Amino acid sequence: MTNEDTFHPLAWTAWLAAAALPALSTRNPLYLSLVLIAVRITYTALGRRNPTARSWSAFVRLGALMWLLSIPFVVLMSHGGSIVLFRLPRSWPIIGGPVTLEALLYSFTGGLAVIGLLLIFATFNIAVDQGRLLRMTPGFLYQAGVVTGIAVAFVPQMVATWQSIREAQQVRGHKVRGIRDLLPLLLPLLVTGLERAMNLAESMEARGFGGQILVATPRQRLAHQLALLGGLALVGLGLAVNGFWPDLRLIGSLQLAGGILLMLWSFWDVGRRSRRTRYHRWPWNRIDRLVAAIGIFGAVAWLAIMFARPEWLHYYPYPPYSPWPSFNIVVGLVLLLLAAPGLLMRPLETESDPAVAV
Amino acid sequence: MIDLRHVTYTYPDQAQPALADFSVSLAQGEFVLVVGPSGSGKSTFLRSLNGLAPHFYGGKWSGHIDVGGRNPVERAPRGMADLVGFVFQDPEAQFVVDTVEDELAFAMENFAVPPATMRKRIEEALDQMGIAHLRQRRIGALSGGEKQRVAVAAVLALQPQILVLDEPTSQLDPQAAEEVLVALRQLNEDQGLTVIISEHRLERVAQYVDRVLYLPALGAAPILDDPRAVMGQLPLVPPLVELGRALGWQPLPLTIKEGRPFARRISGQLAAAVAGGQSRPERSELPQSAAEGHPERMGDPQGRTQSKDAKLIPQGSAISVRDAHFAYHGHRALRGVTFDARPGEFVALMGRNGSGKSTLLKCIVGLLKQDEGRITVGGLDVRTAPSDDVIRLVGYVPQHPGSLLFRDSLLAELAFTRKGHGMPQDEPADLALLERLGLASVARRDPRDLSGGEQQRAALAAILVAQPQIILLDEPTRGLDYVQKRNLAALLLSFKAEGRTVVMATHDVELAAACADRVVLMGEGQIVVDGPARDVMSDSQVFASQINKLFRDPNYLVVDDVLRALGREPAAP
Repeated sequence: MTNEDTFHPLAWTAWLAAAALPALSTRNPLYLSLVLIAVRITYTALGRRNPTARSWSAFVRLGALMWLLSIPFVVLMSHGGSIVLFRLPRSWPIIGGPVTLEALLYSFTGGLAVIGLLLIFATFNIAVDQGRLLRMTPGFLYQAGVVTGIAVAFVPQMVATWQSIREAQQVRGHKVRGIRDLLPLLLPLLVTGLERAMNLAESMEARGFGGQILVATPRQRLAHQLALLGGLALVGLGLAVNGFWPDLRLIGSLQLAGGILLMLWSFWDVGRRSRRTRYHRWPWNRIDRLVAAIGIFGAVAWLAIMFARPEWLHYYPYPPYSPWPSFNIVVGLVLLLLAAPGLLMRPLETESDPAVAV
Repeated sequence: MIDLRHVTYTYPDQAQPALADFSVSLAQGEFVLVVGPSGSGKSTFLRSLNGLAPHFYGGKWSGHIDVGGRNPVERAPRGMADLVGFVFQDPEAQFVVDTVEDELAFAMENFAVPPATMRKRIEEALDQMGIAHLRQRRIGALSGGEKQRVAVAAVLALQPQILVLDEPTSQLDPQAAEEVLVALRQLNEDQGLTVIISEHRLERVAQYVDRVLYLPALGAAPILDDPRAVMGQLPLVPPLVELGRALGWQPLPLTIKEGRPFARRISGQLAAAVAGGQSRPERSELPQSAAEGHPERMGDPQGRTQSKDAKLIPQGSAISVRDAHFAYHGHRALRGVTFDARPGEFVALMGRNGSGKSTLLKCIVGLLKQDEGRITVGGLDVRTAPSDDVIRLVGYVPQHPGSLLFRDSLLAELAFTRKGHGMPQDEPADLALLERLGLASVARRDPRDLSGGEQQRAALAAILVAQPQIILLDEPTRGLDYVQKRNLAALLLSFKAEGRTVVMATHDVELAAACADRVVLMGEGQIVVDGPARDVMSDSQVFASQINKLFRDPNYLVVDDVLRALGREPAAP
């Protein structure tokens, strides 16, 4: 099953930004629940097309486990709050003292945010083929992209090799009792892995990998380095200004934007020099544009609310705030946009059409 | 087209050169087979054609080389990739991206081929190799033959004029190898592509090639001639040629079709011999020494004589598998396999890649526990018996010797196995075993520095030191040349002669014909055919040996069957 019939990877990337932002920036359980519902709708639409996608339940289980483990920590160690559920003897170190409803709520919302993030990435993972995403990386990252792709592909191979080595040593009567007994397993793994890497490198070399890069003049190279350094400095400065002098936020934001633009230019210019073509043209249809636009709008709207009306998103159960979350209809509407890909996805064709793929 | 003069090349940190004063000249549009014993420089020669040697490996290079008007030493592999396409031995280890279409596009993207041209060339390459239906598939899910065809298509997309293949079929089953070779022949005929291929199993390739380049040994002048002429000079040749040489057939037949008229001529003689009761050779003598023994046909299993050591194992079945099922993550690898092996029996397990051979072997040694059914070895239930007891009885030699060997000397490897089995150390006995395996001279060397054939035997030694009564081998002949294969066959037969049970999964038809009493064909996790080697191998299109194809008679599987029926001495190896 390929994902040709969902959306363009860039559209999904916009969705990822719009979905991850709220999960990262609010603890309000109502908003987080809305995010989860929207992600679930999207996932369900995807899962219908891709029956092999099983990672969802694994991610849910992982998230739930982390959540369950974190709750007792927060609940027992944070003694703030006024609504006391019960008290542990003061003499108990660290956990002694009142256990409050506020602490319970706070740990609950924290877990909700973590699960939300996990599931957002799980959904993105199913929607977009990583190999494809890697190949969309701009020119200057191309080699890094290919190398990353190979490294990712190596993992399952190494697992298989590990398995066969373990079997081979096991039938020789080898048993792992301590660290030293791992040597008979690790050494062949290392040697085999190296051999395989050499074979692959040889094959890539024989097929002209990395062949056609135009060499930059020293002046061009200096310009790139300066642009990169300057961009980094500006970004750092902007972050510092925003953090320490909130009154100068406008200046800080301008510095941030300028730094990012400078770095992007440098990357783009380097990428222009590596002569390479792309085989795939992913269709960029009206519907892809729509999904991307909704994603970008959602992300921008969220950022606007974050900066202009931070109190709408604010949630902190401890006094002096109310433990009961507030709900703003505008925020709710923005979050509902996250379900858009799920609702806009074309109905699944009964038979996969090979002509769709280019 | 290709011209090498006085080339000497030494890999880094090596005292001996891999190519010494090497000169050869090949014409455009030829289909050339490169043969020679291990270590004669075949791979190095092939890698010099696109500059991998010396560019990828380093080392010292001298001499003149010209490939299609370019100098690979100056241009480096990336400058040769659009002229010389290179396909490697291991279908697993040469793919960069994960789908067939993307893999084909990979090299062209590197060469900045415009997308419209790319699409056209990908279509062509897919059609040339007959894999258009695979375009969307993930490479990991393809069969070995499909993978190698994808690898060829991936280099064809750059439209090279020369295609170089380093043992491209050595890891493939007979059907898959045939697919690849037929496709190559077609490319050579229809497109005029120069094809240079190295291969150990001459019986697979000889019929397709125009000329054979034989590298006898390091430093010796290579011989380039038409296949018939070269085959007359090679020390070890496919069975058909061996028979032709023994009986003085002229011109020497290279294909079954060419051999048939000769076969018909002697069929009267053979029929008379059968009437005279000389056929169905009984087991007469056993090879005494592994090093000099000759893999002879041991007669059919019914005619087996009890070996003097057979009492080592309790009577009855050595291996008994009853209705075994096994599934990996929902993939049903074994579906109700029932299989027995008697003590002292030699069973060849054959079938396509993925038919369940390896899974069955792993279940027998207890590495995998069957989901259903019962497996016993020497009366022990593999599922419930302590694994120490099972592995003392059953030795399992895995496919890649590299997954076993890790100590810095061969003797240390043997000592490690002894320790694992709780046996006392006994260096004289270890040396005797290595002697028998022809490894005594390398007993103190690092196993990883040994040649492919030596490593294979080193792995065998590391298992055999525990004196298992049942030996399981998974594809033991990968990358072995004829000499090494013959030695391995003799060795395995001598184990069998001691009353041990040997079960060998293999794609090598000739090896199975030479050794096995019984052939078990597997398909889709089930046993399709199980019977005496003579019957199974003469029924099958794919699994028939060359000699059997020639005579179409279950009495003749290997050269010696014919020679003995004619009242001649078996050919000396």
